[in-house]
Amino acid sequence: MVVSARRLLSVFHTGAGPWIASAIGTASLGALLAAGLRDAVIWACVAAAAASLAMGVRTLLRGRPQADAGAAGSVSPGEGAALAERLVTARDLWTTHLGTAQREMREATDELLGAFAAILQQLDAITAGDATSGRADGAALEDRAAVLARCETDLRGLLVHFGEFVRSRDEVLRDVQGLEDASSGLREMAEDVDKLARQTNLLSINAAIEAARAGPSGRGFAVVAGEVRRLSAESGDTGRRIGDTVRRFGERMHGALQQAAARGAADEQAIRQSESTNTAVVGEVEGAVGGLQQRADDLRARGEAVRLQVEQLMVSFQFQDRVHQILDQVVASIDEALRTLPDALARGHVPPQSEWAEMLSKGYTTHEQRSAHGSAGGATAAAPGTAAVFF
Amino acid sequence: MAKTILIVDDSGSLRTVVNLSLTRAGYQVVEAGDGQEALERLKKLDKVHLIVSDVNMPRMDGITFLKQVKADPRTKFTPVVMLTTENQAEKMEQGRAAGAKAWIVKPFSPPTLVDAVSKLVLP
Repeated sequence: MVVSARRLLSVFHTGAGPWIASAIGTASLGALLAAGLRDAVIWACVAAAAASLAMGVRTLLRGRPQADAGAAGSVSPGEGAALAERLVTARDLWTTHLGTAQREMREATDELLGAFAAILQQLDAITAGDATSGRADGAALEDRAAVLARCETDLRGLLVHFGEFVRSRDEVLRDVQGLEDASSGLREMAEDVDKLARQTNLLSINAAIEAARAGPSGRGFAVVAGEVRRLSAESGDTGRRIGDTVRRFGERMHGALQQAAARGAADEQAIRQSESTNTAVVGEVEGAVGGLQQRADDLRARGEAVRLQVEQLMVSFQFQDRVHQILDQVVASIDEALRTLPDALARGHVPPQSEWAEMLSKGYTTHEQRSAHGSAGGATAAAPGTAAVFF
Repeated sequence: MAKTILIVDDSGSLRTVVNLSLTRAGYQVVEAGDGQEALERLKKLDKVHLIVSDVNMPRMDGITFLKQVKADPRTKFTPVVMLTTENQAEKMEQGRAAGAKAWIVKPFSPPTLVDAVSKLVLP
């Protein structure tokens, strides 16, 4: 039984074109998307497997120049069986390589996605922490202003209390000043008492002189005059002692008032300085808090940017699923094709073009596969990445 | 209490992306690698508020799984969103006829998925 190798191989070549192109395109897509990734070597493996697949088929197709060169090129049944055996060997090798590449790519992708998911969870935790402690930016600013205003009010309240204390002390000092004035009056009164005592003493001396002149009849009066003189002397001593005490009291009072006046001026200055310090401290705290807030906002914005990039990266990794579906179909298609060909070779039967194309397109799931095959493969109802279609 | 979403997809990376998208939207997520595993999960779960399923999967494909879900009195009212690379009208019609509520073509954007889930999820 003889079959035209040229015809059979032309059918194979025509039908194999789409999945060879599909495999190479898939691998190229993988390599491009994975550019810059640590596991680019895995993608290179996929590309190499696809390239090997394409090269192998081409080598087989071109392996019989006499068949291609001659219009009547043909193979014997024995050669057909050998060719079938080569194809089966090639199929096993290609599918093994593709399987290895897919498995390693899947593992690496899962690992990367797991790491990205962990990063996103960390970023979410940071954002959530900010949200609970700082809430929204506007609310955080309002909180900061409110806290600072409260601090300033409290500090000013302390100064007001201190000022009230100083005013209260000044009132006491004014009362004490009144006491100093009163002590001056007391001193004058003590001098008056001394003066009265001296006059009384002079009067008692005159009375004693008059009693002596009256003789025995004035003896009693002389006794009274003596007592009066003694009392006036005692009154004079008491008046002087009162005067001395009042003077010493006045001197101490005056000294205390001078000290209080000096202290009052220092207190006034301390209050003014405290107010100034208070304003400066509140300003500095506000500036520092503002700086911290600014840095926190900056960090939050950077974190958000990183989060969006990681999210986008994770979404981009969906290509891996499509790559696997395409490669799975390629493997299944190779298997199916190379199960059909030996029998066709043995029977000298060339599969019809339409039947061959249908077999190769079996299991297509993506738009890219159908496009690569050169047929839309039926009406499409939704494009990738668009909104959901609700039924 | 967070609503439970069952994700059915043979791709671990896809499940990770879908899981993260829905978890961050406040849902509790349970995963299954194919239709058969998903049916076993459904038997053990108290209540699932929505299912997100792929179509092309080993052991049991998404359309067969969908039919099984709709045939079970416990789950027949659970909304199912198909998330797949398939964008052929014929496949979508199969999904609609089997009882799917929405069809999203991969690659998807997380907001699209979360929006569809929020519109369809059971109260």
